[in-house]
Amino acid sequence: MTIRLKKNPVDIIFSSITAIASVSVLLLILGILYVLILESYPSIEKFGFLRFITSTDWNPVKGSFGAATNLFGTAITTVLSILIAVPVAIGIAIFVTEIAPNFLKGPIGAAIELLAAIPSIIYGMWGLFTLAPIMANYIEPALQKSIGSLPLVGVLFEGTPMGIDLLTASVILSIMIIPFTASISRDAFNLTPAVIKESAYALGATKREVVKDIVIPYSKVGVFGGVVLSLGRALGETMAVAFVLGNNHQITKSLFDAAATITVTLANEFTEADTDIYLSSLFYLALLLFVMSFIILALAKFFILKTEKGIKQ
Amino acid sequence: MFKPKFLCILTGLAISLLSFGSSFAADTKLNGAGASFPYPVYSAWAYDYNKVSGAQLNYQSIGSGGGIRQIVNRTVDFGASDAPLKPEELEKDSLLQFPAVIGGVVLVVNIPGIKAGELKLDSNVLCNIYLGEINYWDDEKIKRLNPGKALPHKEITVVHRSDGSGTTAIFTDYLSAVSSDWKEKVGAGTSVKWPAGIGGKGNEGVANYVKRVGYSIGYVEFAYAKENNLSHTLLKNSAGNFIKPSFESFKEAAGSADFDPKKGFYLWLNNAPGKKAWPIAGATFILLAKEKKESNINVVKFYDWAFKKGDETAERLIYVPLPVSLKNKIRAYWKSHNIY
Amino acid sequence: MTTAQVRKLKNGIALTVCTIAAFLGLFWLIFILWDVLVHGIGGLHLSLFMNDPAPPGIEGGGLRNAFVGHLIITFFATLIGVPIGILGGTFLAEYARGRKIARVISVLSDIMVSVPSIVIGTFIYAVIVKPVGHFSGWAGAVALAIIMIPVVLRTTEDMLSLVPWTLREAAFALGAPYYKVIIHVVYRAAAAGILTGILLSIARVVGETAPLLFTSFNNSFFSANMNEPVSSLTVTIFQYAMGPYSNWHSQAWAASLMITLFILVLAVLGRLLLAWRYGKRPTI
Repeated sequence: MTIRLKKNPVDIIFSSITAIASVSVLLLILGILYVLILESYPSIEKFGFLRFITSTDWNPVKGSFGAATNLFGTAITTVLSILIAVPVAIGIAIFVTEIAPNFLKGPIGAAIELLAAIPSIIYGMWGLFTLAPIMANYIEPALQKSIGSLPLVGVLFEGTPMGIDLLTASVILSIMIIPFTASISRDAFNLTPAVIKESAYALGATKREVVKDIVIPYSKVGVFGGVVLSLGRALGETMAVAFVLGNNHQITKSLFDAAATITVTLANEFTEADTDIYLSSLFYLALLLFVMSFIILALAKFFILKTEKGIKQ
Repeated sequence: MFKPKFLCILTGLAISLLSFGSSFAADTKLNGAGASFPYPVYSAWAYDYNKVSGAQLNYQSIGSGGGIRQIVNRTVDFGASDAPLKPEELEKDSLLQFPAVIGGVVLVVNIPGIKAGELKLDSNVLCNIYLGEINYWDDEKIKRLNPGKALPHKEITVVHRSDGSGTTAIFTDYLSAVSSDWKEKVGAGTSVKWPAGIGGKGNEGVANYVKRVGYSIGYVEFAYAKENNLSHTLLKNSAGNFIKPSFESFKEAAGSADFDPKKGFYLWLNNAPGKKAWPIAGATFILLAKEKKESNINVVKFYDWAFKKGDETAERLIYVPLPVSLKNKIRAYWKSHNIY
Repeated sequence: MTTAQVRKLKNGIALTVCTIAAFLGLFWLIFILWDVLVHGIGGLHLSLFMNDPAPPGIEGGGLRNAFVGHLIITFFATLIGVPIGILGGTFLAEYARGRKIARVISVLSDIMVSVPSIVIGTFIYAVIVKPVGHFSGWAGAVALAIIMIPVVLRTTEDMLSLVPWTLREAAFALGAPYYKVIIHVVYRAAAAGILTGILLSIARVVGETAPLLFTSFNNSFFSANMNEPVSSLTVTIFQYAMGPYSNWHSQAWAASLMITLFILVLAVLGRLLLAWRYGKRPTI
């Protein structure tokens, strides 16, 4: 739908301005990448890539840094929060698209999306003052009593329940990403052609069967995209975790131990860093985070676009 | 054409806001940044000082490391650090340094049946506990210090800070000073690689852990031990006496220590020689850029005022003010650099 | 049991589980909002808005500096981010419509929307704070603006694309150059949508903390000078909530309540505007 009009000089100027504005996004991404590489170069040079991501040594006194503990914390909190959030989010999406009476669909959907609007620092504070004590006094001891004695999984629930740990951080993250996952799943569900659903109902299928055999097969790639997008969000979340994770550079077996994620380490130690190699290593962490989340978000976008295209065709 | 008009209004608003902002800049404004430990007392002083003088002293706690970095880069009027810079470092970056207030690090334990001030420790035992070499409360070495006390056969949970902090710097400097083993294996700094234990965020985190984890030991700023009603231990000082942490024993540590103005007061208060001196303490320091005469005079004015009028505020917030003799030494130091 | 009964039972169980999930989501929302309300309302005094912070132990301190500072930073962020976003979106929906570059930038913007905000904070620290030599309100505003640009850009693109092509053709037929068509016809037709984008982008950045930590920093005094460290509500909340004093905690809750209310109002307004004008939901 390209338009070739008589070129007016003002038009040329205006179009160039808009072009520059839109290319700014591209330039920003490249700029961020360039600056992060530049700033982390001393650390890259000193520790290399493989050694940096595999070393658990985070030792400011000796000036020796490795990202493994941070990557561990980031991976555990992200994966755990996805495990908690996805079933709930898909349940919500099914409820809002298929089950709720029409007059409730809008309000409930909107209310759950409002969860996404609450700033992460509020989640963090709420987590510290309200959720952490609940976790420490009720939920974690209960978990310890019930599944803590089982072989294999028992080791995940060892130690003293403090409330400031991997599990609490993951629960908060999961609450934060539920709205994203639910919203995208709902959009994917809504793309299912109504005709097919209606013919299934006409054949006497129950709602469960329609969802299981028609809606989900139609939208699974989109839902998967939503899950990956939430993964990307959880990966980069800072404030909600900073309050309740404890910032401890260690790889632990138990979910009741404090840990550190890349984001929490940045928030806690960035202004504190006294040596150049320390600061540079923090930039290196930021670079890793940027690249990881970029790849994951790009994947998510790919899956979401694929569903939309697939349905259109 | 709603947009350009809209933009014009916005820009106009912006410009008027900016001029509104700059009209506030008439009074003296000082920016400082650094150690988080003295943040409450500096901000309390700054608040009172603002009322009497109109000067605004904005102090932000970004950590000691950050404070040093900012003053070295000359981006603030003064830096603050819990760890003093060595004379040659001061020379290199052309800085002045003086202490402002004293902090003490105390040990707190949670052993059912043991009350505050009942457990006696010495530097050797403490070091071995933090190295993870003494694992049980009824270890022979602890028993020897506490004859006749029923100590349980329970595993010790060591609690330390998980974030960088001046408290850790003071504590690890003490351990390094008393044990070559510690110095070699761990060293001293605002954050170190701990050989044992669990980490709590901030003094609060450590206090919280010690409160809730049975048979644990942790180190916190004196103020937190007091506010949280934790059981402190007695600790043997360099004179061989078991000392209770208190305002008096901190003051004695500060008073008996020999701060040398020529070295920019470079000194750790650990193992101060006083008979009743608490062994783990440190002054927190102010750093000034030598060539910034004008702002230095204003910063010094503030601290001179704080030394005169701020003791009460400091003690209310459970900080230990400097002894008078040291204050006079600092004033002489200022004079010798023509900023007082 | 007959197959029909089994199917009915399975159906019932599945539907119940989904309903429970939905109400679990609602439960969290109500729990968090209620908690913020209950804790925050106790700290809401006039002094919170009228006074600057008092040190711990002294009564009557407020967060006037943080409220004003936050407004100023957000205002300048909007001033920088919104025009760039709108112009960028215009390029994608108008001049580059259907071209490959439009698709690429559109996808990249979608990714930028979700890039960790703390990374943007470190970026601005490296390119503005370090070279200039000190923390400043400007650095904070630029960091927030960078977060706003892709949000505004994408909503603008979507909204302009919704304007029927025939409307433009009618204007072209009258001999109007494209830029005039865009400004007089397309923008006007999409005004409500663009406004929604702006509202949502403000809602997005007004609760941000991570990008402000090492850019606009904090200031314990009232300062409207963007060349100095400027206090913001979110950074203050972080500092106060982590601190040991209980009156700090109650002020942090009160500030949280104000921010949450502000954002919810913006978000609801944006949604209503969209529903009223287009009968659809925002994509972010």
